[in-house]
Amino acid sequence: MISFSIMCLGLLFVVIGSVGIIRFGDIYSRLQASGVSDNAGLGLILIGLIVRGGLEMHDLALVILLFLLLLTNPIVTHCIARSAFIQRHTGVEEEE
Amino acid sequence: MVAAEIVLLLSFAAVLYRFFRGPTQWDRLLAYNSASNRVIVILAIVAILTEQDIYLDVAIVYAALSFLGLVILARFTERGEGYR
Repeated sequence: MISFSIMCLGLLFVVIGSVGIIRFGDIYSRLQASGVSDNAGLGLILIGLIVRGGLEMHDLALVILLFLLLLTNPIVTHCIARSAFIQRHTGVEEEE
Repeated sequence: MVAAEIVLLLSFAAVLYRFFRGPTQWDRLLAYNSASNRVIVILAIVAILTEQDIYLDVAIVYAALSFLGLVILARFTERGEGYR
């Protein structure tokens, strides 16, 4: 029951982040929607998988996966935003 | 669990829309990052669901390799035209 609740909360974050990735206007808003909601939602889904069932051997691999995801996702988001900023991308939508 | 997989696949389709539509190259990098994160979590759910722990090792290696490729691509595109 606790696992179900945590995974439902994580799925809510993931759906909100996907709507933000589709609907937002410029690259920095989309980066913020992606970076924040992916960390929260996918991290919550992995925590829900960890607390599901008893203490088993594959929980260690799930903890390593969660640590790796929470470590690498902000670094990648920062690298993309830095690249877009250095290239003098002004944030104005270029389509239309 | 299966419903969680279905929701994650639908959000994966939403991210793929941004990948093929995206006006700039950074939108495509962002969509690649989000898509690989969703693939990692879908692999973890499949591993727990089918009781086969080998998929967790696949997910860990996939996370490391996608991080490496994304950092290399982002550092490469910040230098602009030509090689320096």
